[in-house]
Amino acid sequence: MTAISPTAEQTPAAAPLVGRPDVNRKRMARLGWMFTAPALLIVAGVTIFPIVYSVVISLSNATVSGNGIALNGFTLSNYSLVLKNSTWHYALAFTIIYTLVTVLVELVLGTLIALVLERLTAGRGFMMALLLIPWSMITVINAELWGYIYQGTYGVADAILNAVGLGSPNILGQSTSAIIGLMIADIWKTTPFVAIIVLAGLVMLPGDIYEAAEVDGSSGWSTFWRITVPLLRPTLALAVLFRVLQAFGLFDLPYVLTNGGPGTATTSLAILGYNAIFKNLSFGPGAAVATTTALLVLLGCLLSLRTFRVQVGKEGE
Amino acid sequence: MAPVSMDNLNKVYENGFHAVKDMSLDVADGEFMVLVGPSGCGKTTALRMVAGLEDITSGTLRIGGKEVNDETPKERDIAMVFQNYALYPHMTVRENIGFALKLRKTPKPELNAKVDEAAEILGLTDWLDRKPGQLSGGQRQRVAMGRAIVRQPSVFLMDEPLSNLDAKLRVQMRAEVHRIQRHLAVSTIYVTHDQVEAMTMGDRVTVMRSGVLQQVDTPQHLYDNPDNIFVAAFIGSPAMNLYDAAVGEGARSVKLGSQTIDLPESVRVKRPALASYAGKEVVVGLRPEHLPAEAPDSTGPKLVGEVDLVEALGSELVVHFTIDAHRVLAEGAVDKDEAAAVKSGEGVARIAPKTPVKPGDKLTFAVDIDEMKFFDTQTGLSIRS
Amino acid sequence: MRNRKRTGWHRVINGLNISAVIVVIFVGLPLYWLIASSFKTPANLGSSPPQYFPNPISTQNYHDAFVNYDFGIYFRNSLIITLVATFLVLVVGTLAGYALGRLPMRGKFTLMVTLLIISVFPAIAVVAPLYLLLRNLGWLNSYQGLILVYTAFNLPFAIWILRNYMLGIPKEMEETGRIDGAGPIRTVWTIILPMALPGVFTAGIFCFTACWTEFLFALTFNASNNYRTIPVGIAEFGTVFTVPYGTIFAASVVAVVPIGILVFVFRKFVISGLTSGAVKG
Repeated sequence: MTAISPTAEQTPAAAPLVGRPDVNRKRMARLGWMFTAPALLIVAGVTIFPIVYSVVISLSNATVSGNGIALNGFTLSNYSLVLKNSTWHYALAFTIIYTLVTVLVELVLGTLIALVLERLTAGRGFMMALLLIPWSMITVINAELWGYIYQGTYGVADAILNAVGLGSPNILGQSTSAIIGLMIADIWKTTPFVAIIVLAGLVMLPGDIYEAAEVDGSSGWSTFWRITVPLLRPTLALAVLFRVLQAFGLFDLPYVLTNGGPGTATTSLAILGYNAIFKNLSFGPGAAVATTTALLVLLGCLLSLRTFRVQVGKEGE
Repeated sequence: MAPVSMDNLNKVYENGFHAVKDMSLDVADGEFMVLVGPSGCGKTTALRMVAGLEDITSGTLRIGGKEVNDETPKERDIAMVFQNYALYPHMTVRENIGFALKLRKTPKPELNAKVDEAAEILGLTDWLDRKPGQLSGGQRQRVAMGRAIVRQPSVFLMDEPLSNLDAKLRVQMRAEVHRIQRHLAVSTIYVTHDQVEAMTMGDRVTVMRSGVLQQVDTPQHLYDNPDNIFVAAFIGSPAMNLYDAAVGEGARSVKLGSQTIDLPESVRVKRPALASYAGKEVVVGLRPEHLPAEAPDSTGPKLVGEVDLVEALGSELVVHFTIDAHRVLAEGAVDKDEAAAVKSGEGVARIAPKTPVKPGDKLTFAVDIDEMKFFDTQTGLSIRS
Repeated sequence: MRNRKRTGWHRVINGLNISAVIVVIFVGLPLYWLIASSFKTPANLGSSPPQYFPNPISTQNYHDAFVNYDFGIYFRNSLIITLVATFLVLVVGTLAGYALGRLPMRGKFTLMVTLLIISVFPAIAVVAPLYLLLRNLGWLNSYQGLILVYTAFNLPFAIWILRNYMLGIPKEMEETGRIDGAGPIRTVWTIILPMALPGVFTAGIFCFTACWTEFLFALTFNASNNYRTIPVGIAEFGTVFTVPYGTIFAASVVAVVPIGILVFVFRKFVISGLTSGAVKG
């Protein structure tokens, strides 16, 4: 078989033709920049410059005067101070472990809840609405609530523990129990959020592949691991990403529930930074803590994305 | 109502892609002109240039005699129906149809009268207060048309408006669109990739390929007198059989594979240029209906093929056969999957319904020699005068 | 899809129903504790063993919150700041989301990625310089200071949501408008915006929730009593020695109710907002 290629019917124009963008396209592009400008100005002004300035502070000898901060020269001493500081080491370890544990527990519990909800035919809307309430609660309120529950004298947690014969420990008074108490408060508030994200992902899975799996003879457990989990990967990745971001900036909960204590047991990186800047007025080191925390957050993002092999901005596989 | 005149239109995109090359076409006042061709042939780009949605790189576009190259779509007084209808989902049918008039600040009573009139023509009167989401595909398509006709524009432009409808509805709507256009007598340029649609709807049809206009003619002329191999292969279903062949001495015969077919005087008279191809290779074309099964008493030119497949349609038999000649495929005329499935030397013939034939038989076809087409191998052009 | 027939008592009591009940208990119990405790008398709040059901039911705490603890002021402040910031975010964000979703700009992708990266930064990283900036402007302990900050920090996510919704609108819409004769602004207002309304609602709910619950910035910038928002107000109820839980819970219930209702009514938008971003990346 031979194929005939296109032939031009007429001879091409003498002068080479150059393609230009449409007049309307240029107009629209200009309009686009006009529309975007306010947002860019506000965001840049209020976020980028302060971020940069924060980095600058962290790299200078910062002294506080009546009018503000005086920056006296470039130095890495803030960072070396922070990196050698044992409280910072603790805060770093605490924040990382806290993040890992809470995110993991929430992921497992949230997925379980989502699986239960997915099978529900009646009342699913009600359940979803119920789940949204903890998410919409102010974290401070959540902290106060659990503070009341954990209260050493009249807290209901102690009453229950006593009733089952475990005595009445002062939960918030000891490091380990305080940390666990903190985690429980966080998990209670955030698991529903994860559950909703996973549920929404589950609902979007096509039904016919499950029928095909049934015909192929796959059982419930194996279906879950071999089909559901891989398909849920982007959804799970998103949930983990959100949570890791939140967890790294952990501030509200420990501030209100334990005030970073007992001692520095629940002092997260953010609490440490806050205390350094606003209680001790050590702006330099405080800024160093803040900057390193930000870097860690970025790192956490990248790692989460890597772990789930998801690409941002591109189509799914 | 206004004629459209394209004079050497070119469209080159920013990245250098030359989508439309030196296209010249005149659409008469009230004419239904169809632009047809495979994907990427430039038909939609040409349409959008007429609409004003794409800038014209070079050449002149005239609507109603006036040069409109630099005018906005609104100024050109054109109306367009998109493939996806692009109805405003939050407006009722009435509001959708009347939107353009509202923008032009048409007084309310006049606006409503025009909308009612358009709805009447399209059979949408009962649906005026519904929203697009509540309508069927065919109804939505009619609303899209309603939006176009209510403005009483100079030109209608339609970009594959029936592609999203299922087959049966498409056939129905074809007739509808045609009827409405006749009734309104507005110059219309209609783009489609479906050659059946083109043939059934157009007053004239323009075949395009890779940005170049191949041929403009009435459907029947296109079918009977294709200017080149591409048009010959593109128009008509099942497609024309095209083979490499060699012209014999004095152009008195032509050889396909191992078979020689004599050419009577009438063939040479109609195609004087054929004589200069004596001893050379050409491409020969025969439409399936021009290969009926040989009648027992026929004496004319014959072609023998080995039957692969027989499809009984009731009204006729479609026979797939092979001969030992080289089959020619015009790039883009048939889609790639079809092309891959075609075997070397395969041809298609349409014969009488009760002919006794089965796969494996050797069948003799009577060649309708006057309908045989000849094409130059290098240029692809039809060999005529 | 996975429906199996169950007969007899299985219909009422089965694994699924039990699990659902467990979930409701899991979520609902602490909520119950919050609401119930708010209705206990201040004395009974500290009773040991704890009162599992308030007896007598008292609204003393609610009274205290508004009369003794200025909760009314905090509520008003939160409302003003949240509503204004949300409004600004929606106006500015919709325009930007439209442009980034549908207009032919160069460098769109870079902009989106930059916005995303910014939205990832923890508040602690910017709180110090922002404090100085607001102090220089004289905007500490004001409405506009916090509004500005909230607007800036909620814009990236809102733009992300709005852009995704804009992308879902058929691309012929602008061209149809053009042919019908509508100018670009008219097209956005009459054609695109009504179609993007769900996205606007979604972004609005998220922004409202974020502003209503924000703590670190509110704590740092609006420390004075007159300008405190609810989170800070509640956190500062009482002293180191006395924590007036009753008042705290009463205030909490009042704070949770409006946003709870909003989120309940608009839950469809919240859920779609959480997931539409996911798959499209």
